[in-house]
Amino acid sequence: MGVVVKKVELSWLDRTYVWPVMKGMGITLRHFFRQLFTPTAKRYTIQYPDMKKEMPEGYRGLHELKRFEDGAIKCVACFMCQEACPARCISIEAEEFSDLNITQGFEEKRPAKFSIDMLRCIYCGMCEEACPKDAIWLRKDYEVAAYDRLAMQYGKWDLMNTYAKADGKELISEDPTPSVPRRTIAM
Amino acid sequence: MDKLASLLHTTPAIAWMVAKLVIVFGGVFSLAALWTWVERRGAAMIQDRIGPNRAALFGKIKIIGLAQPLADGIKFFFKEDLVPHDANKGLFWLAPFLALVPALMGFAVIPFGRSFVSGGHEYHMALLDPGNGMGLLYPLAIGGMAVYGVLVAAWSSNNKWAILGGMRSSATMVSYEIGMSLAVVTIFMTAGGYDPSEVIKAQGHLPWAWNIVRQPLGFIVFFTCMFAETNRLPFDFAEGESEIVAGFNTEYGSMKFSLLALSEYCHLMTASALIATLYFGGWQVPFMQNPPVMLSVASFLVKMLFFAWVFVWIRWTLPRFRYDQLMHLGWKAMLPMSMVNLVFHAWRMSQGH
Repeated sequence: MGVVVKKVELSWLDRTYVWPVMKGMGITLRHFFRQLFTPTAKRYTIQYPDMKKEMPEGYRGLHELKRFEDGAIKCVACFMCQEACPARCISIEAEEFSDLNITQGFEEKRPAKFSIDMLRCIYCGMCEEACPKDAIWLRKDYEVAAYDRLAMQYGKWDLMNTYAKADGKELISEDPTPSVPRRTIAM
Repeated sequence: MDKLASLLHTTPAIAWMVAKLVIVFGGVFSLAALWTWVERRGAAMIQDRIGPNRAALFGKIKIIGLAQPLADGIKFFFKEDLVPHDANKGLFWLAPFLALVPALMGFAVIPFGRSFVSGGHEYHMALLDPGNGMGLLYPLAIGGMAVYGVLVAAWSSNNKWAILGGMRSSATMVSYEIGMSLAVVTIFMTAGGYDPSEVIKAQGHLPWAWNIVRQPLGFIVFFTCMFAETNRLPFDFAEGESEIVAGFNTEYGSMKFSLLALSEYCHLMTASALIATLYFGGWQVPFMQNPPVMLSVASFLVKMLFFAWVFVWIRWTLPRFRYDQLMHLGWKAMLPMSMVNLVFHAWRMSQGH
């Protein structure tokens, strides 16, 4: 089965070649002036270091470990994300902490160390899906780069502070509750 | 001018000559350098891009990227200057100059402003004074020399892609020269002389008396041939990424490549100056009998730069021709058209118009 190619009969005006050239030049001139009088912010090109693209909803960028109002980490060190991670880039070390004495019963678990190897991470968002506490989010920052490999190993405090500046929160580097109980209740 | 000349212990004629040399060659050369930026920026705008806008003087003064040609020049100077092992060294060195010098020389006879009288001397706004006996034959002859630049560059680099590119472009130049010359001959005929000042005088200051209106066919032929002469895009057979690598300048690098590239833009400037002189009344200001000198220079510059822009504009509008299509157009369309033009105007003159 062949394809019938329809041959377009050119008018004498088209065959002069001059008229189509002028039409084409009109088109390019229109583009030229349109681009010339479009303000830089509205052009297709985003002038990267000066302007940044607003990523769409659902974009999976750099991770953030969420925190409570008082700065306590939301993560409970359940290891679900570590299990879910197909690239095996998350490694967690858990610890217990409590404001109370051990015997008083109110104990909680949190990561002592939480590190993501950003060189291995594939930004699939499985950790976000797996998290029962909504403690890890993949948000819109896409500028993950460093001069050496070590700098790409994001630790717990790096991950908690990734969006602190963007959200207007303060940078934290210490848990509000120490892992060693501060007060003991006299028995 | 008199005072300046006596300060420098020279005659006004010599001082004026030096000033003209600096203005014309410096001006054309820097305009050509600037036009590399205009070309890139214009191309970007036509294609809805932005183009080079980041080059900044001292890393601070970023005037819409105008420092780009400067940055390119510096970059080219610091590139390794490589001469291929089996190249013909002497010719390889000579070729960029052979390409550049004719491109600049063609400008010498073109008057870029009205002649004026000051202190009893008459000053002409052209490197070669009118009545030098060469007139507009000179840029045409020099334009023919441009073939050597391309061909010598191609031949000396001892590279098959280069020689293919050089052969193609020299064939283009030679075959389009005929149509072009016949179109120009028609102008000489109607103007009654081949001196540029006579051609301009014959056109007068009224736009409908310019040659573009009197000889539109001749204009189309001449304009098209100028594209072939300058080796620019619809006819850029000296180059061809997909066919012959970079064509005649495949083996060139560093400042030698830069000179070859610049020579194309110098050619472009000379070509647009020629178009402005021959078909658009040169320095004549529309509807003004005796314009002030500076105004006439400005008028010439506007016309010239407009055509230089048209060269860029066309380049980013039209696709390239195939080589046989080019030859068809040259021999079967341009040459007959310019002949018809010549015969028609000869007939009109014989009828006493």
